[in-house]
Amino acid sequence: MLEVAALSHFYGKHQALADVALGIEQGEIVAILGANGAGKSTLLKSIAGLVRPAAGARIRFEGQSIAELPAHLIVERGIALVPEGRGVFGDLTVAENLQLGAYPARARAGEADRLAKILQLFPRLAERLPQAVRTMSGGEQQMVAIGRALMSNPLLLLLDEPSLGLSPLLSREVFRALTQIRGSGLSVLLVEQNARASLDIADRVYLIESGRNAGTGLASAMKNDPEIQRAYLGKARGASTPT
Amino acid sequence: MLLVDIVLPGLVLGGMYALIALGLTLQYGVARIMNLSYGESLVAAAFGAFSLYSGLGLSPLAALLLAVPVAMVVNWLLYRFLLERLMRRSKDRGAQEIDSILVTFGVLFVIQGAMLVAFGGQYYSYSYLSIPLTIMGSTLAVNRLVALLFAALVGGAVYLALTRTRIGTAVRAIAVDANAARLVGIDVAALSGLAFAFGGGLVAVGGVLVSMFLTFNAAMGVIFTMKALVVVIMGGVGNVMGALVAGLLLGVVETAVARLVDPGLTLAATYALFLGVLLIRPTGLFGRAAS
Repeated sequence: MLEVAALSHFYGKHQALADVALGIEQGEIVAILGANGAGKSTLLKSIAGLVRPAAGARIRFEGQSIAELPAHLIVERGIALVPEGRGVFGDLTVAENLQLGAYPARARAGEADRLAKILQLFPRLAERLPQAVRTMSGGEQQMVAIGRALMSNPLLLLLDEPSLGLSPLLSREVFRALTQIRGSGLSVLLVEQNARASLDIADRVYLIESGRNAGTGLASAMKNDPEIQRAYLGKARGASTPT
Repeated sequence: MLLVDIVLPGLVLGGMYALIALGLTLQYGVARIMNLSYGESLVAAAFGAFSLYSGLGLSPLAALLLAVPVAMVVNWLLYRFLLERLMRRSKDRGAQEIDSILVTFGVLFVIQGAMLVAFGGQYYSYSYLSIPLTIMGSTLAVNRLVALLFAALVGGAVYLALTRTRIGTAVRAIAVDANAARLVGIDVAALSGLAFAFGGGLVAVGGVLVSMFLTFNAAMGVIFTMKALVVVIMGGVGNVMGALVAGLLLGVVETAVARLVDPGLTLAATYALFLGVLLIRPTGLFGRAAS
């Protein structure tokens, strides 16, 4: 459903992405692994239209080019980004954030049903609808961010570091929600520092190093690849034997 | 009764401040344009109402029907063809603010010059509904009450539109975080233009209402710009409720000082209140805590 090819991006003279390619099929969870500064966030922002890719990039979604579209029209096509740092409206309430999630025309039909489902997915939010989001914990704000993205009735969800700064408990809750979301046929493209958790829920993985593709494969195979364990699962090497 | 003598005219004045601060909130808080020609637009609307009343005998309330759409169209054109291009060119928020200040400073002189050519420098006023009315022992002209009523109606309608409708919530979302607004599918440029136009419409309402009971001349726009700015900052930039409350507060405090101390001290009272609020709450009465 999403095909990216020859995607490059420059911040001034610094090349953040160089000819990156990737693809996602419907219903897949795809994880992108790479060191800090490898260009993972820039990749997601390019797909969402927040940064302009260099000329020649091909980004096709559902068979149509979206490389030139402004961000607000890309949401309208069915791609929702949950940015790093969440990007929620801190001064607005939970209810207002979720209502704004359904701002795109594609999200208006079935809005009430979707809201009910999201509140089921994150029961904490149901208790806090009138609360200003900035007064909530990081984990709760992340739930608002994911919930708001889901309100836009997306076909593809882009998640940038959803567990960053969260306690292990809340991280688990967020990942549990992601596996539940997958059940509804939605595709997910995930950038995550917690490589182990992403390998656990992803179908396929792309490796990005210094802005370039550095490999791809099935998550199940990658999990047991000693090279991957050493490079991305860090010190957990010895402890990674299945129990 | 002294209290009514202060509170009633204070609310009239404060209602005007709240209304024009609401407009500046839309222009500065949402569209991110620090509009220095804001007060000149207000005075231009006052002259418009004056001309229609003295020339055609049209009531100022009817003049609203003409002044508001004209102001909205002019402001929208100004945003779309001048300010928005400038905003896109500037690299960051700081550069945008400086650019918008420089441009609207120029616009200020264009509007003011046109008014000086047409009306000269002398003071103007007209008599409309200047019937004294006694309320709880305090005398007030009917035109002031009408102005307060209209300010309350318009301000209330705008407040409800901003807080209870999806598009109003979207407008506030832009004020909170314009980048995040793009992620939920908000066309930030288009909606900012609309907010800027509505801000211009609100200041036109303010100008017409003020002209019913204040004397004005072509050079006094800057006073209204400063007052609106003080109220917006005091309430918390981009905060609708803050603008309304701070506006009413300023009106009552100014009237109290004029009545109880000395009319010459109203401006001093304005800035004393302003400083006091900022010392205690640097981000304004309803502003978020600095993060």
